[in-house]
Parts: sequence; structure tokens; C-alpha cells
Amino acid sequence: MANEENTKVENMKLDDMQRVKVLSPSALVLKRFFRNKLAIIGMVIIICMFLFSFIGGMVIPYGQSQVFYTTEEMKKDYAGATYISDYMMYEAEGAEVPSDLYSKSILAITKNQKVVETRGGGNLALRPLTGDSFIIYGAEETKNPRALKSKEHDQAVASGDNYFEYDDVAYIADDASGKELLYIASEMAVICKLSLTPYTAGTTLSYDFYKNALLAMSGKEKTFEADGLNYTVEMDGEETAMVFAADGSDYAYISNMNINSVIGGVFLAPDFKEAAALAIQDGAESFEYTDADGVTDTYLLSENNGQYLISRFQETRVIDTYAQPSEEHWLGTDANGMDLLARLMYGGRISLLIGFVVVIIEVIIGMIVGGVAGYFGGWVDNILMRLVDVIYCIPSMPLYLILGSIMDHYRASATVRIYMLCVIMSIIGWVGIARIVRGQILSLREQEFMVAAEAMGISVGRRIFKHLIPNVVPQLIVFASMGLGEVILAEATLSYLGLGIKYPAASWGSIINAVNDSYVMTNYLFVWVPAGILILLTVLAFNFIGDGLRDAFDPKMKR
Amino acid sequence: MKKFVIKRLLISVVLLFFVSMIIYGIMRCMPASFVETKAMELSQKPGAKSYDEWLEQLNAAYGLDSGIIQGYVTWASKAVRGQFGDSWNYNQPVLQKFSSVIWYSFALALASFILEIIIAIPAGVAAARKQYSLTDYSITVIALIGISLPSFFFATILKWIFAIKLNWLDLYGIVGRMHQQLSPAGQILDMAKHMIMPVATLTIVNIGSLMRYTRTNMLEVLNSDYIRTARAKGLPERKVINHHAFRNILIPIITLLGGTLPSLFGGALITETLFQIPGIGYTSYQCIVLGDIPFVMFYMLFSAVLILAGNLLADILYAVVDPRVRVN
Repeated sequence: MANEENTKVENMKLDDMQRVKVLSPSALVLKRFFRNKLAIIGMVIIICMFLFSFIGGMVIPYGQSQVFYTTEEMKKDYAGATYISDYMMYEAEGAEVPSDLYSKSILAITKNQKVVETRGGGNLALRPLTGDSFIIYGAEETKNPRALKSKEHDQAVASGDNYFEYDDVAYIADDASGKELLYIASEMAVICKLSLTPYTAGTTLSYDFYKNALLAMSGKEKTFEADGLNYTVEMDGEETAMVFAADGSDYAYISNMNINSVIGGVFLAPDFKEAAALAIQDGAESFEYTDADGVTDTYLLSENNGQYLISRFQETRVIDTYAQPSEEHWLGTDANGMDLLARLMYGGRISLLIGFVVVIIEVIIGMIVGGVAGYFGGWVDNILMRLVDVIYCIPSMPLYLILGSIMDHYRASATVRIYMLCVIMSIIGWVGIARIVRGQILSLREQEFMVAAEAMGISVGRRIFKHLIPNVVPQLIVFASMGLGEVILAEATLSYLGLGIKYPAASWGSIINAVNDSYVMTNYLFVWVPAGILILLTVLAFNFIGDGLRDAFDPKMKR
Repeated sequence: MKKFVIKRLLISVVLLFFVSMIIYGIMRCMPASFVETKAMELSQKPGAKSYDEWLEQLNAAYGLDSGIIQGYVTWASKAVRGQFGDSWNYNQPVLQKFSSVIWYSFALALASFILEIIIAIPAGVAAARKQYSLTDYSITVIALIGISLPSFFFATILKWIFAIKLNWLDLYGIVGRMHQQLSPAGQILDMAKHMIMPVATLTIVNIGSLMRYTRTNMLEVLNSDYIRTARAKGLPERKVINHHAFRNILIPIITLLGGTLPSLFGGALITETLFQIPGIGYTSYQCIVLGDIPFVMFYMLFSAVLILAGNLLADILYAVVDPRVRVN
């Protein structure tokens, strides 16, 4: 094959036409273009950008507005504890209680009276137990000297009590008025500053249990019977006690502290309360507690005006903001916890799309207006060119800013903003192309081929768009490739100022917007540097290509 | 020539009329404009009138109760007499605010303009002298990088290096914290120091086009016959370049630079905003965002005048510098 060609060349004559390889004009342009190193670099960069944004966006497993979370050790309030300062009242089942039972009892306790009259006319009698616990009885005055003189009465008085039973009747003795009075007592309630927590969640403690537990706490007898079951009380401190069931298992915890979970509806185990109360009594700053699942945690205690706060370090799910680059997020995450690489890819799509859409619209409008103006000349030209002048006069950047803030006020969605940006930028940008096209056509239409075209009777539209415009295409292509860079730059600037593409849609410019926070600028280089480099590379590549194309179309600049 | 200038001036007036009309129309489109924000603010004060009442009163006070066309006519009839009204945002006459901020912008633009000329023209000439050499390629690449560099990105890099890492310059503003305590000379130096980064940004971003323009024109000149003649008669290369070639590229360069002279007053909207230099650009940016119609109208119109003046100046200079060109 190679031999054959060689012999062919040898057989040619010196002036053989085939010796000179004839290339078509466009092939020549291409050849010159591909010899330009910078232009090739530009092409490679642009192809890479397309692959990065379009293929990369498909390959990457993350979305552009997917928020990532991380777990972090955070000190969180767990429970609050206070010494109980108010009296709690537990009423007996089935007892008829007067409506002012609680207030009258409190009154009696503060006035240190043992018997008070209720509003309903009856009497209340208080039987003090240890500390601030009392049993409240409904009292009916009676005269029974035998009971007063009985052994049971003397025993009770001797032990400091005012309650005794004689002949199966419960009596309360009171000597507040100087003379000892006797009342027949009927149980109504217990009142105390203690809280009782059963061990198993859901167990409700009966009145009987309350009363007998309190009695056992104050009495010497540490066992009691309630609801037919036997319990044992073991004092932990002065005011705290543990109640065991008959089989020795923990049954309830009695404490003078109110310990509640910060989150409503959470049951705090009595062990926990016990551990917390002990720590508070000891004045410790932290304590350890192993919960039912066997997990040991350290709880921290802090005190504020008698209020104790129990907190602990907990694993918390938080948005992963400004994560450093890692295997998971190659370029880290931004302020919203979104993957920066994914946002760069999607931002690239938008930037490139806006660039191409705007330039295509610009070229179409500019070609039509410039072509018509240049071809017809006269008043058509005059009017169209004055329109071009008007638009050319309007300062573009301030106008984009104004329109951007108008869209802000209308709260345009991210997609609408993208479309509007395309439209606005093309409406402003087409005038440059119209001027180029018109200038070229003004000189071209005087040439012979146009006379020929007219002589052949070709219609005006065909003459403009088939014979004139193709001669302008080289300049158009150069202008368009440079214009692409400019449009991308303008879009990035607008987005940087926060008036272009907005969250949640991504754009290279809006990613760099994060540097308005100088903390981000200083410490999170990975947020803004890649985006800036991508903009620079893309615009540079379009300029390289445009430059290469200009040289290729117009080789006379070469020495 | 006189006729040409007068004709162009007349056309410019007509163009300005349309430009101002378009901009006024767009400005009035802002639905939640300055007035509505202000009315909302006022109505939330204790014991204030309702939002609607405030809105009505403010609209009347700011002349927004009339329709767009009527509002435009009112505005234009005053603007023709040089009355641009009071800036809503700054509560002072637009022209007064303008004259107090314009000099920052002018200083900024002038400094970077001079730097551009000093750097770009020799670089462009050097690139053209050795076309396709390493010098040429590096100058071309640098010029294109300058054109392609987003100003906000470059400004951020500068801030990061000089303000944060080296701590030589301040991040923002035109004056330092101790400005009031400084001597008059010290105050000027303080401001100059704050201008370093903005000037650098503006220069780098704008330098590329002048560099490339110089290179293209130099190449064209170097290809012309009289250069070949000069070389043929044995002139040293230095003399060919400096005398014969350089003088000829001055024609297009002076035309271009003359055309950009008016824009020295236009302010650099983005750069000033990035560095919060209180020039006309940054002031206008704030007014645009807030919807301050009188100031923005004035600024837009002023910019349009500058663009028109630049074009006109370029055309006149073209005819003046190059006697071969006859305006018609």
C-alpha cells in the first residue's frame, strides 16, 4: 500500500496538480486551528469541563442540594432536680374530702395547729410523722373520758404522737386549747414533701402504700403491709428511703427531691434518681450511672438557685457544615452541609448552559437585526442602529443588578431566575453582534457576487441569509466563543453578589459568595478556591479558543 | 468637523431620552421598593400609623403616587434643569452625594489607568516583536488570564494573601481605624494604602485587552511596507521599533485610550463593592439594592453619558490623530 503510493508520487510530473494538496477553506482553517497550542489547550479544558459537569454530575452519588449530617458529642440537658418545697397530697380512696382540704392543711402546718376547721364546718386533724409528712384525718369532736385515760392514749402521747386506737375506734387527741380534746378520726389523705417512684414504669402506688410507707419511715418498725403485701423500708439518708418488696427486690424509691426528665414523657428509673440524689447530697459535680441496658454514662451536675441540672454528653445528629475534604466528600461540604464537588458539577452545568443559551440567542437576534439593517440601509438601518445605540448605552452591570433585586423582591424561584438571567443577558448582549454583522454586510453587499445574486432573481431573505450571513460567520464564531467567556463571567459575578443564581440551585459564583464571611475566607480555602479556579479555567479556555479561531480565520497577522 | 460633533451631540440627547425612559420604567417595576420597606419600618414603631397610611404618605412625599409615564415626565423635566432631587437612602441632594464620592472613584480609576498604560504597552510591543516566542506566549497567556479572571475571585485571593496571611493591608474600606489621629500627610498615605488592593484588582482585570490590542496593532505595523523599508536601509532594530513602528501604533492606542477617558469617572461597581471603597460604584450598588430611584437614575444616566462621550471622543481623536481619516 505504502509502496504503491510512493511509486505514484514518483510517476507524477513536476507541475502535476495533484502534487499540491488542495484543501478546502474550512479545512485550512481547521488545520491552522489545530496547530495553535493554546487553542488545543482551550479545547481540552472545555471538553474536560463538560465531562466534569455533565458526566460527573451523573456519576457522583450526591445531589446538588443533598444535605449531609454528622454525629457530634454535644452536652445536652438530661434531667432537672429540685428539693421538693411544696406539699404533695395523696388522698385516700373513697374518702369524702372537703374542697379546701389542701389549703386548710397547709394553713394548719404553717400555724403549727393540729386541728383546724374547714369551710364546710367539719374539722381536720393532722398527725405529724417524721419531717414534713402528715396524715390528715377528718375529725369529729367527741367526749370519751375512758379513751382519754386509756393505756393506748398514754403510749401515744409518750411517743409524741397524737393518734391512738381504742376499742377499734381511731382517735386524735389535741391539747391546743389548754384542755385536752378528743376527736374521732377518719382517714382522708397524706401530705408530705416526698416523691415516691415505683421501680417498674407504669406501676401506680395506692394510698395505702403511701400511708404505710410514710408511717414505716417515721416509726421504728421498718416493715409494713399495704394492699395485702409486705414491704420493707430501708433509710438511705434522713429523707430518702428505699422500699423493697417481700421477695427482696426493689419496689419503690422515696425521696425529698423531684427529679424529672427534661423531655416530657420519659420515665426516669429510681436507681437513677437515687444516684442523682446521692450525688447532690454529696455535692459532687458528676456521677456515673448504668442504665437498664447496661450503658454507663457520666452525668454532669450543675446547680443554679437550688435547681440542679443533670446533663450529659450525647451523640447528636447535626448538619455537617464546612467538613474538611475527606474520602467521602472530596472537596468537603459548604455552609449548608452540601457536598461541594457535587455543587461544583451542577454549578458547571448551569454556567455552561447559561453561556451557550445566551450566546445562541444573542447570535440569532444580532444576525437578524444586523443583517436586515446592513442589507436594507437607509431608514431601516437608521432606526435599527439607533435601537442598538440605546441598548449599548445602558450600563449592563447596574442593570443586571437592578433586575436581580427586582427578582429578589418577587421571590422568584431558582429555576425562574436561571431563565430570566438568560433572557436578560441576551437582550442586553446582542447589540455587539448586530454591529459586527451590519458592518460586514455593508461592505459585502457592494461586491460583485451580490450583484450576481440580485441578477439571478434570488429573494431578499435568501440573499441575506444564504449569501451574506455565511460570509460573516467567521467573525461571528470568534465573537461568540469570546462572548461565552464574558457571559459566564457576568453570571458568576452576579451570583457572587447574590443577585444571580440562588440557593438551592448551585452556581460557581454563588459558591464563592461564602467568602463574604471572612472566617470562611480565612479557614475554609477548599470552599472558594476550587470554584474560582473552575471559572477562571472555563473563561480562559473560551478565550483561548476564540483567539485560536481568530488566528485561524485570519492568517494575515502571521509574519 | 463641527457639524459632525453637533449632529452626534443631538443624537446623543435623543438616545439619553430613551435610555432614561427605559431605566425609569424598570426602576418603577421594583414592587417592594425603598418606600415600602420604609413604610413597613415606620409602621412598626409604637403608636405609629398603619402600614397603608404610611405607604400612601410616603408615596406622595416621594412622588410615586403618579403613574410611570407621569412620574417620568416630572423626573425628566427636573433633570433637564439639572435637578436630580434628593437621594432617598442618603437624605441629601443626589449631586451633593455624587460630588462627595466621585473623587475616590476617579483616584482609583486613574491609578489603575496609568499602571495599565505603563505595563500593557511595553508588554504588548515586546510580544509582537517576537511573535510565537516564549515571551509572546507568556504575555498572551497572562493577558488572557487577566481578561478571564473573575474580579471577585482575584480580589479574594489578594485579601487572603495580603490582609489575612501577611496582615499588611486592611480587608475593607478606604481609611484605617486610626485615620482621625493621623497627620494630613499620614491620612493621605493611609488612604493610598487602602487603595493598593483595589487598584491591583482593577489593573489586572483590565490590563489584558490593552495588552492584546497593542500586540495586534504592533503586528500589523511591523508587517507594513515602511518597516520593511526601514529595515532594508539598515536601521538598527531598536530604532525601527522605537521610532518607526511605535509612533504608528500610537494612532489606534490614543484613539482607544481617549475613548476610555470618560469612563474614569464611571466608577468600578464590582471592585469598589468588593473592597467597600465609598466611590460612586459602591454608593450606587447600595442604592440599587435598596431601590433608591433618584440616585440610581442619576448614576445610570451619568454612565450612559460617559459611554456616549467616550464614543464621541474616540471618533474625534481618530480624526485628529490620523489626518488621513476625514470624518463624514
